[in-house]
Amino acid sequence: MALRRMRAVVALAGAVTLTAGLVACGGGDDEGGGGGEGKTLNVLIGANTQYPEEFQAWQKSVSDKFKAQTGATVEFETFATANDELTKIQTSVVAGSGPDVYAVGTTLTPTAYSTGAFVKLGDEQWDKIGGKDKFVPATLGISGPDEQNQVGVPWVSRPFVMVYNTEILKAAGISKPAATWDELTQHAKQLTTGDQYGLSVGYKDNFDPWKFVWGMSVQAGNPLVDGKTAKLTDPTTKKAYQTYFGWLTTDKVVNPAAIGWSNSQAIAEFAKGKTAYMALTSATAAKALDGGATKGKWSFALLPTVPPGATSRPANGVEAASILSGDNLLVADYSKNQDLAFEFVKLITDQEVQLEYYKAVGNLPANAAALDTLKSDQQLATVAEAAKKSVATPFTGAWADIQLALTNVVVQSIPDLSKGSVSDAQLDARLADAQKAAQSSLDRAK
Amino acid sequence: MTDDGTTTTLAERGEDTAAAPGHRERRRRGVTEQQRPLWMLIPGGLLMTLIIIIPLLLAVYISLIDLDQYTLRRWLEAPFIGLDNFVEAFQSGLPNSIWISVSFAVLSTAATVPFGIAAAVATQNAYRGRSLVRAVFLIPYVLPSFVVATVWRTMLQPDGIVNNLLAKANVDGGLWLSGPKSYWTLILVEIWAAWPFIYLMALAGLQSVDGEVHEASAIDGANWWPKLTHVILPYLRGPVLLACLLATLNHINNFTLPFVLFGAPAPDDVNVMPMIVYVTSFQSLRFGLSAAMAIVSLLIIAIPLFVYLRALRLDVHEEGGRK
Repeated sequence: MALRRMRAVVALAGAVTLTAGLVACGGGDDEGGGGGEGKTLNVLIGANTQYPEEFQAWQKSVSDKFKAQTGATVEFETFATANDELTKIQTSVVAGSGPDVYAVGTTLTPTAYSTGAFVKLGDEQWDKIGGKDKFVPATLGISGPDEQNQVGVPWVSRPFVMVYNTEILKAAGISKPAATWDELTQHAKQLTTGDQYGLSVGYKDNFDPWKFVWGMSVQAGNPLVDGKTAKLTDPTTKKAYQTYFGWLTTDKVVNPAAIGWSNSQAIAEFAKGKTAYMALTSATAAKALDGGATKGKWSFALLPTVPPGATSRPANGVEAASILSGDNLLVADYSKNQDLAFEFVKLITDQEVQLEYYKAVGNLPANAAALDTLKSDQQLATVAEAAKKSVATPFTGAWADIQLALTNVVVQSIPDLSKGSVSDAQLDARLADAQKAAQSSLDRAK
Repeated sequence: MTDDGTTTTLAERGEDTAAAPGHRERRRRGVTEQQRPLWMLIPGGLLMTLIIIIPLLLAVYISLIDLDQYTLRRWLEAPFIGLDNFVEAFQSGLPNSIWISVSFAVLSTAATVPFGIAAAVATQNAYRGRSLVRAVFLIPYVLPSFVVATVWRTMLQPDGIVNNLLAKANVDGGLWLSGPKSYWTLILVEIWAAWPFIYLMALAGLQSVDGEVHEASAIDGANWWPKLTHVILPYLRGPVLLACLLATLNHINNFTLPFVLFGAPAPDDVNVMPMIVYVTSFQSLRFGLSAAMAIVSLLIIAIPLFVYLRALRLDVHEEGGRK
């Protein structure tokens, strides 16, 4: 009997200790609001693997500025991939504690919004950060489902552009890069000779395919989601896939090995100097381009904005030069330091810090005045224009699934691509699957 | 009869030997039970509860509710939908994934066993450079899965080193990382990375064979082949069976290899269980559905585990008796 009692006591003691430990782990928020003396603001931000030292220096500089301004300390926490960030958001949302400010990628913003865990921006909040007018208008396109329900403050832009080899185009007597998809295909055909290819495409990339398909579709007047209806079997979308596959199968302007390439491999191939165009890249590729045989021989251009099979955009088509790409800043609604958080958001979206960040890691400012100062550089002017002509992907919590479904059509078609053709029946069947997945996700959207 | 289930054996023994109740009581209290420090199980037990049992129960609960990004914030209030997630799991790609996972795991295990045993036999007797050979054999095992997958992915590109070599022999390598062949690629890379585990276990088994056994078979005039098949291999049966079980479970649970080799979304031919659970959870954000899939996986893994563990326990007793 005594033994049993002892066991029970020890068990109880152990349980109490563990529970106490758990409670201690759950705590850790800072107290109070208002002025910043002695407070800590936690900021979650994507790690920059390309320029780690510059990134660190920028963090330090921003922390110092914020400390001087408010007396509060900024603690940066970094994540390596979008999935890491999503996991962090999930756990913080469940626990009701975590970072005060999140830098969230544009395509992930609708997902973050759908959790309902972030502060909606009313006039008061916008005023605190210096008003909506200080941003490039297009960058506000994915801050929320509508004007009244915005959560994301634009921070940086990473618009997509096309890059071409100036020497190859010049030698062929082409004075201007292609402005329509048909023209691009035609240029690419003309420029494919011997060991030289007209176009470099990363067919095996986990994200690129849907960006092409979305772009071509929306230019033809189909934004893929209409209210609560998915429109993936629309002829415009089918035409987009056929064009994208056609470069490899019928036009033969792409290296057959491209069926195994990711985006960075496609860039590396372009940088060897034997390819005329690389159709989807961003300003951060400049380093790779300068490091290869293309040094001094490349130029950015806007992606075509006229859909395949047309010479001008249809009336309901959108001039989408790029998906709206970059990062938004979101303030957690569980944060006890919301005032401080908005002060921080203001600081890093003001012209000075935006330009400082651009110089450190090469991400374009979302601040309109800051972006304007960069236009003197010809290459950047093109990228800046792409930022202005960026169009938001549909704002729905189902977007992650739709993106996945669009990419999956290409993933499953790769064996057929390598055999030389994706038949109509195969494409229709895969599009029907994608449509089903997209629609069921939209049906669940709340 | 007893105050808790764990003392059944003792109590039964007590009943057999002791006639008088008073005597029996003294024996039970007197020696064995009090000396068993059961309380020492408490820290381990609490940790097990905390990091295995509670999360497992949570997973079971999550599999019964409609938990996704919309309900995550108030997850305790997420609607209870019974077995709907399981129904949906079976209507979606899960049965196909189960088939791929199980066949992949069994084939991988079956293929690694001969390599492992052969390597163990080859390094059993001492010779110059044996330790070097043993170290080299372990290289695939100590390399992180991520590294293995990245290197193989690079080699197996459509214009990669493997296809270039094959082209020199006038063979068209084709696609390794997409389409039907990707399934065999997965098995091939898994074999490359996993055979040293069988080797290690077989080596351990070989070293437990007494010198007398070797002497006895030498006296009986057994040649190497009969000696290997009739004397040595029976000794290896226990360790190698255990290795097979553990290896199969490892293959079924391997996420890094397919994820790094093929990316997500994966080609349909290699959409193994961990991949489908991952994509459902972290790309589609359907935590309820993916929890249901995970539980189905767990049950599937538990069946062979249970059967084998029972069989294995008998084995151990037998060997224990022999000594």
